[in-house]
Amino acid sequence: MEVQLLYLGALLFCVGLAIIIIKRSAIMMLIGIELLLNAANLNLVALNKLHPQAIDGQMFALFVIIVAVSETAVGLAIVMFVYRHHQTSVPDQLNELKD
Amino acid sequence: MQEQNAIPLYSLTGTVILTALLLPLLSFIVSSIIRERYAWAVGLLASFTMMVATIFSAVALAKTWNNGGRIISVDWFTISNSVLGADLVINNTSMLMFFTVMLVSFLVHLYSIGYMAADMAARRYFAMLGFFTFSMQGIVLADSLLVLFGFWELVGFSSYILIGHHMIKPAAAHASKKAFIMNRVGDVGFIVGLMIVWTNAQSFDVALINQVGNGDWRTAASLCIFCGVIGKSAQFPLFSWLPDAMEGPTPVSALIHAATMVAAGVYLLVRVFPLFTPASLQVVGVIGVITALIAALSAITQHDIKKILAYSTISQLGLMMTAIAAGAPEAAFLHLFTHAFFKACLFLSAGSVIFAMHQAQQQSHLHFDVQDIRNLGGLSHKLPITMVAFCVSAASLAGVPFFAGFLSKEVILTDVWKRSNGFSQFLFFAILLISFLTVLYTFRLIWRTFFAAPGVAGLSVRESPLVMRIPITILAFASLWTIVSLNPFDFDVWVIQRDARIPLIVTVSSIVVLLAAILVAWLFRNSQRRTNSTLLENVFNIDRGYRFVYNRSLIPAAAMAGYIDKKIIDRFLHLNAFGHVTLAHVIQWIDANVIDGAVSLTTGIVRSGGFFVRKIQGGKVQVYVFWAIFAIIIFLIWALN
Repeated sequence: MEVQLLYLGALLFCVGLAIIIIKRSAIMMLIGIELLLNAANLNLVALNKLHPQAIDGQMFALFVIIVAVSETAVGLAIVMFVYRHHQTSVPDQLNELKD
Repeated sequence: MQEQNAIPLYSLTGTVILTALLLPLLSFIVSSIIRERYAWAVGLLASFTMMVATIFSAVALAKTWNNGGRIISVDWFTISNSVLGADLVINNTSMLMFFTVMLVSFLVHLYSIGYMAADMAARRYFAMLGFFTFSMQGIVLADSLLVLFGFWELVGFSSYILIGHHMIKPAAAHASKKAFIMNRVGDVGFIVGLMIVWTNAQSFDVALINQVGNGDWRTAASLCIFCGVIGKSAQFPLFSWLPDAMEGPTPVSALIHAATMVAAGVYLLVRVFPLFTPASLQVVGVIGVITALIAALSAITQHDIKKILAYSTISQLGLMMTAIAAGAPEAAFLHLFTHAFFKACLFLSAGSVIFAMHQAQQQSHLHFDVQDIRNLGGLSHKLPITMVAFCVSAASLAGVPFFAGFLSKEVILTDVWKRSNGFSQFLFFAILLISFLTVLYTFRLIWRTFFAAPGVAGLSVRESPLVMRIPITILAFASLWTIVSLNPFDFDVWVIQRDARIPLIVTVSSIVVLLAAILVAWLFRNSQRRTNSTLLENVFNIDRGYRFVYNRSLIPAAAMAGYIDKKIIDRFLHLNAFGHVTLAHVIQWIDANVIDGAVSLTTGIVRSGGFFVRKIQGGKVQVYVFWAIFAIIIFLIWALN
């Protein structure tokens, strides 16, 4: 049972990673990051089942959810400001530092 | 060196001597650089300079006479501890020689104004006369043998130019070459002698060398120096350049024979006489006697008026050598002194005869050799002044009483007589024999030139111009006995100090020889027979011997050296060059392919690496992420294994 959950976590992590790397939009990259965090949460919860008396894993997962919310809020705000400033939210086009 | 005897260079005497020494050099410079427009003045300028120099040298002579041996000290350069000086030696001998050379040179300059009036290259002529005199005076005054040798070479060089003055004539060019080369042969010995002297005495100063120890090296050194003298003073076997040097203008011959060139050798021997050991003196004596006899015999048979005089000079030089060998350098120097005047007078008179005959020949459009005594004759009425001067100086040469040559010859005979060992007795009779022969050829010369029936009739010969007659007259007076002593038969000689008297037997024997010779000469005065000895005329074939040696040894040696050079050394050089070129090609290939290839490879690697790295650093966030994850995966694979 736990092994399947770990497989699912790994799958989710891989998908999130793929989204981060492949997708061009910054918003889709934020979504990918959410997937990574959720994959981590899934692992935490699944592994916590090995120690029924402890709840550390679940508590940690809750914290991660909270941090993920804040992170998304800040990230979206940044994306919105970037879009206002540059009229785009594609990271490839934000290359002012390059030249 | 001898501090107590030194004369400061900037004292009055020093300045006078130095000025007199440098004036001929000034004459040389002025005559060299003067414009062609003023070429007519060059003879006057040079003669005037020489006159001033003569006056200065007379003043210097008077100031330093009987003042002991003194020195004007000049340091030349220093090598570690040894100071090489260029000192000027001031004593009776050197100052008398200084004055004599200057006076004869001045008279020759004066004479040349007339004699060389028609010459186009008068500037070069007078320039070299000045330089010649300067070089000779350097020899006279130099105390260091090294400095002396330098001037010795300068004398050789300037004589080379002057003998070859008529350089268009092949004979003159050959004669000057011959004189130069023969002198070089002798100078090799001189250089070796200098080396021996330096090695053993660590000095070139004559005064020091004469004092330093004794040993076998003195014999070797003196013989080597004598070798240089043989070349310069025309001794056997290197004398044949001197008759050939008659190709030069007659005043030059007068200068060479009287005071400057050939006198240098005798003068040098007088200076370094203490260096000579009895063994080397015997060599000198034998060479001197051989030279004197050969030259006197040859003089009897020659036909060229100048060549007779040339052989007579060689003979007289041999006589001086003989005197030195007998241990009487003072007597030799006295004879050198008197010889300077009467031989200069003889040559200038002969030049006057040639000059007058040449003028007459040009007027009459006849073609004959004006120097051949067979074509002369009957000139005593046409050239009275020349005739008197010629006879006076010839009498002096022949050793007739009341003339200077008689006294100096007496001194030589006396000194030889007093030695009274076997060798000097041999020398005594050799000198008498030479005197006998001298009278013979002198008489023949005078008779043929002035008194015999004219060889070419119908010439209008006129006496030479005044500027040529003055020097001849002065020199004729200088050939009288008064220049040596007031008593014509004995020497209270003022040139050399002595208290002894001439033994009666010496005077008697020399006068007997003289009378006998005159008698023989008078009896045979018109005979052609004794003048027809080919062997004597060719001077015992010495020149032919030289030519034989030259053709048989030197030319094949040169050819062989040329062959070796061409076949072996050149081939080796070609091989060497070929090897170098091949090696260069190989190196060039390696450079293009190996070294340049290595450089290209390095740059290629760096460039592709740069391209690769640039792709990573592209400024794209997702690429960074990709590589970060890639690196983490690698790290994990490494860590988990």
